[in-house]
Amino acid sequence: MSKVIERILNLLAFLLTVGRPVSAEEIRFTVAGYEQGEDEAFRRMFERDKELLRELGISLEMQATDAFEVEYGYVVPEGGYELPDPGLTDEERAALWLAAQAVRLGGQPSGPEAIFKLGGVPGSVGGEPLSANLGEDVGLLGDLFAAVVEHRVAAFTYRDKARQFKPYGLVHRRGHWYLVGELVDGEARAFRVERITDLTVGDATFTRPPGFDVQRSIPDAPWEAGPDEMTAEVVFDASVAWWAERELGANANVKKQPDGAIRATLPVAHPDAFIGWMLGFVDEAEIVSPPELRQRLLDQVGAR
Amino acid sequence: MLPYVIANPGVGVQDLSERFGYRRKELIDDLNLVFLTGLPGYGPGDLIDATVEDDEVFVDTADYFARPLRLTPPEALMLLASGMALISAGQGPPALESAISKLSGVVAPDSGGGLVVDLKEPEFVDLLRDSVEAAQVVSLTYTAIGSGATTERDVEPWSVFSANGNWYLSAFCRTADAERVFRVDRIRAAAATAETFAPPDEPPPPEVRYTPAEEDVRTIIRLNPSAQWVAEYYPVEDLGDGKIRFSSGDPAVAARLLLRLGEDGELIDGPEVEQLVADYRTRIQARYARD
Repeated sequence: MSKVIERILNLLAFLLTVGRPVSAEEIRFTVAGYEQGEDEAFRRMFERDKELLRELGISLEMQATDAFEVEYGYVVPEGGYELPDPGLTDEERAALWLAAQAVRLGGQPSGPEAIFKLGGVPGSVGGEPLSANLGEDVGLLGDLFAAVVEHRVAAFTYRDKARQFKPYGLVHRRGHWYLVGELVDGEARAFRVERITDLTVGDATFTRPPGFDVQRSIPDAPWEAGPDEMTAEVVFDASVAWWAERELGANANVKKQPDGAIRATLPVAHPDAFIGWMLGFVDEAEIVSPPELRQRLLDQVGAR
Repeated sequence: MLPYVIANPGVGVQDLSERFGYRRKELIDDLNLVFLTGLPGYGPGDLIDATVEDDEVFVDTADYFARPLRLTPPEALMLLASGMALISAGQGPPALESAISKLSGVVAPDSGGGLVVDLKEPEFVDLLRDSVEAAQVVSLTYTAIGSGATTERDVEPWSVFSANGNWYLSAFCRTADAERVFRVDRIRAAAATAETFAPPDEPPPPEVRYTPAEEDVRTIIRLNPSAQWVAEYYPVEDLGDGKIRFSSGDPAVAARLLLRLGEDGELIDGPEVEQLVADYRTRIQARYARD
């Protein structure tokens, strides 16, 4: 392994200093570590080294070695190597490391490589104040995050339909990851990441609308997302008021009654989701208005 | 490690080992390896000059390695998401907030607010966490999710964790004399008692699980295609042909589910549950007829 590391360091040192695209052939006869081997052995060795560099976060690009574009060579593209200095203090790095240890993505805590790139953490930092799993496959999320950051159009399949999507943000809320943005024809959408398949992130880029609020694109309560718009007034008996209050979301206006019951007015955009939730209270809650929402609940109860 | 040494010439071997998780020997081995690399020509002026003198480390003639390597998208995402999760849960020290804002500025410029992680902590999480730490018995007032039944219990708390957007307490329930997982947002009241307990050597992994028990009520329900989420959401047995077998400790869980499904779910078998659904319908109709 140390031979590989040695060769990779030599290759990187050469590519970072040479200042022009260099062909595989030139690398083979210039960089220490590639001397021996047949054509095929070199090709395999070089492919593996490129892959290792990619895993480290360095993607090599092909560019013409001269104006006539006869021969192509490898370069480390601009912005393809360096991390602009975020100016972190040791205390900030320690806080990041602690957070990375406490939170898992896809069941995996993150390894120390990222924090090493940022300058490492002084001393040993212990403690796991929070144990949370944010779910989901890190590979897919990473690719989506790259598309968000680089403003690239993403193509994927969602519920058996092919989509062309401009991803403006990734949101984790109520236990799920959502990709939010607009379809290329302009319709604003949010997709559940776990249902996204066949993702390809192409070269086409988009301009992010400056006013787009990712935070508000996924509603606070499940019944706040939908095609309808109405304001509902509901009451909850004292026995279930504590639970209703916890679930109602920030957009509900809640008034406590003297007997411990609560009366709330709230926006409802998805009546079925809202009625489903209300029925969970059986007869300890009631929709006061609008009348059509009341009737819809009664129709469902009276079915069959 | 190289950028750090280049930026901090003369850094101590001890400091460097701790910072980058090395043992002393590994660090020296790696520095020796660096010493063998450099630019084509590979003469004395081309190789990287890595030296350790009096426990101080110097690396020269390697300015091209002075800048730290960029983060891969998964690395950046993991750091940012975990930091934001902690902050949204009210567990982020000021240093974490400033770290996340600096890091976002570098890895996701011009994507203002492109990543949002929301992991609100319900009431009592802190109290439960402290009780786990101190191995203190806790008295709970708990309302079961499906049935709505409220009970008082004494539990030995083992761990507090978050999964699928909810917070859970894994504990030994003295009242039930069995291991239980409680949803924290369904805890109405919690108080630590003066009594302590001996935590198990190997508490079960923090995960939500449900194993049907002998005495559970079993119901067969036919689901319309639009209600297939039920099969994904609850631990059910798929009987094919849109039919599922639904097990729960309390028939009220199945009854509430059927009420919620309306025409999307049909009860095929489960007399006890059928009775309860009918009772719920009558009660709801009575309430709405009142005014």
